[in-house]
Amino acid sequence: MAELTYLEAISDGLRQEMRRDESVFCLGEDIGAFGGAFKVTDGFVEEFGADRVLDTPLAENLIVGASIGAAIEGMKPVAEMQFADFISCGFDQLVNVAAKLHYRQGVAVPMVVRLPSGGGFSGGPFHSQNPEAWFLQAPGLKVVAPASAEDAKGLLVSAIRDPNPVCYLEHKGLYRHVKGEVPEGDFEVALGEARIAREGEEMTVIAYGSAVQMALDAAEELDESIEVVDLRTLCPLDTEAILATARKTGKVLVAHEATQSCGVGAEVASVISEHAFEDLDAPVRRLTTPDVPIPFSPPLEQAVLPQPDQIKEACRELLAY
Amino acid sequence: MPQMGVSVAEGTIVEWRKRPGDWVEADETVCVATTDKVDVEIPSPASGRLARVLAEEGETVDVGAPLAELDPGARPGEAHPEEHDEGGAATEADREPELERPPAAAEVADGGEVDRSRFYSPVVRRIADKHGIDLELVPGTGIGGRVRKRDLLAYIESGDPAPAKAPSKQLHTESPYIPEGELAASKREPMTLMRKRIAEHMTASRQTSAHCTTIVEADLSRVVAARATLKEEMARREVSLTYLAFVAEATVAELQRHPILNASIEGDEIVYHDDVNLGIAVALEQGLIVPVIKRAQRLSLEGLAAEIGRLAERARAGRLDPDDVHGGTFTITNPGQFGAVLATPIINQPQVAILDLEAVVKRPVVVEGEDGDSIAIRPITYLCMSWDHRALDGAVAARFLAAVKDRLEGWEAR
Repeated sequence: MAELTYLEAISDGLRQEMRRDESVFCLGEDIGAFGGAFKVTDGFVEEFGADRVLDTPLAENLIVGASIGAAIEGMKPVAEMQFADFISCGFDQLVNVAAKLHYRQGVAVPMVVRLPSGGGFSGGPFHSQNPEAWFLQAPGLKVVAPASAEDAKGLLVSAIRDPNPVCYLEHKGLYRHVKGEVPEGDFEVALGEARIAREGEEMTVIAYGSAVQMALDAAEELDESIEVVDLRTLCPLDTEAILATARKTGKVLVAHEATQSCGVGAEVASVISEHAFEDLDAPVRRLTTPDVPIPFSPPLEQAVLPQPDQIKEACRELLAY
Repeated sequence: MPQMGVSVAEGTIVEWRKRPGDWVEADETVCVATTDKVDVEIPSPASGRLARVLAEEGETVDVGAPLAELDPGARPGEAHPEEHDEGGAATEADREPELERPPAAAEVADGGEVDRSRFYSPVVRRIADKHGIDLELVPGTGIGGRVRKRDLLAYIESGDPAPAKAPSKQLHTESPYIPEGELAASKREPMTLMRKRIAEHMTASRQTSAHCTTIVEADLSRVVAARATLKEEMARREVSLTYLAFVAEATVAELQRHPILNASIEGDEIVYHDDVNLGIAVALEQGLIVPVIKRAQRLSLEGLAAEIGRLAERARAGRLDPDDVHGGTFTITNPGQFGAVLATPIINQPQVAILDLEAVVKRPVVVEGEDGDSIAIRPITYLCMSWDHRALDGAVAARFLAAVKDRLEGWEAR
């Protein structure tokens, strides 16, 4: 075990897979000589060479399209979007080609698209988004969103080894703020399995990504028996874990940084009301960013992104309900 | 609170069909109010969003007083304007409270905490069903007194039934004699609003009037014959001719000749009524209601029979107008059908008498003829009248009953 930051854990997982498997390579904007906008691939070009750490033009359509071609030919590309927001330029390749090829032609597309997402640093509307819900509407894609350093590595390794195209959402706010013990060497976290981050009896916060740590902090500060479930994978969603915790506590808050309408919270709430209605002791609540673009202005950005105090307040209300 | 009938001064909210935050179409029912006995659906005067409820369930409100606030500027699906007034940017918590507000009881008038003591969540209901627990007995510690899952689990664990919550309004009917502990395991259920009203009215009547009951026997041979003759013809006009209609006809006629029985007491005064507004008690599944035939003196036998049939049908369908149950000056009750022969009814305040018609039974009776007495089989009924000794005396009551009896016994087509 080594203590790594979330960002180091991603690098570690990627490096390890590239060492283990020659077919794994990465591509993206400024990931080679510059080491990536956030330095995830710092030192990679020195170790693996420019053939396996490809600097691409500023053309996301190309990055995703080239990845698909390589994947079909037996490679395991790991594409980096400089910011998750830019995936829209590669959207057609991703949702219509990568996601559908296996269904249409029986061809596996083992690729990973890394999506640095999330706000909190005055990045404004183009550099702060959490676009995961887009991909949940494109059957054929898997979507993961780790919250801890350990999962950042384990989920990336599993994503690379999975035969399907996987969108890997890495929250920029967690890169250097979250650290934890990460198993060294070969280590996987299975896709599609949520994690109980904290056990509790009175209510549950179901979260993923940046909201997990906020939920854990809120539970500690309130000193109540609050369960925190980290979804980790958004597609396929671990409905068993969601229903188990809903049935156990009867009160659920779903928290995430992505906007609210038709988001993961909506899906989780719907699954619960459909299958665990008779176990509910309160309405399922959501705490998310409202349906607005993310402002540049720091105070305005603070006002729209979910804050720790809001999670605490929502927990208090649900507990009291 | 709309004017639901000319004589209605106030109404009590039975239930809210809409919650604050709900979109309401013009003329859509927002709540149900009850006047004395009749439930009326209150329609929305306009389309808009229900902003605030000003009278909670069970609250009695004067006619003309506001029941709720409607925001006519809102549009369906649009966020509530107030949500944006409070802070700079909308946070999630402000943004859609109406969507996240739990389905709960109406708000109290001062805009304070929502009363959720009667709202039971799905899990609470399920656990209560499983353990056979009366949720009324479980103390709630959640918001608005709601019974939370933990409250219920703690209650089950304690194995110790908590005392029932005190009813919101103490009725005269509450017995002080419940032995402690002994009845703890019995089933309890709240009275329906109608039950409560009946309890209040009957107890109040007993405490108001000096009840006396006088009974006369009436031979209905001629009524039976008349009914046999007229029944089919009236049936063709969709009028059901019952013995009750005959008794009503005789009663209305004699009330006009004995005005003290068509009267009420107000303070130290006796008020004589020109019109005979005849109340007819109608048994319902869960109670009793007394629709009133206004100015019954205008109506013939067939007119009375038709009106009795119409009001009874509306009463059973729950479709009486508030005015239908107001302004009675005398009441006839006719539980009939189960074969009881005598009863001592309770006066319907502020009237001074109530006539009870029970079963018509064939009996051997002594008939006086020119050739002497003989025994005959005759259809007999007892007319039982409770009357208020404050307004009249036994001789007056007996004279009135005798007149009704004579009229029935000597029935002639009129």
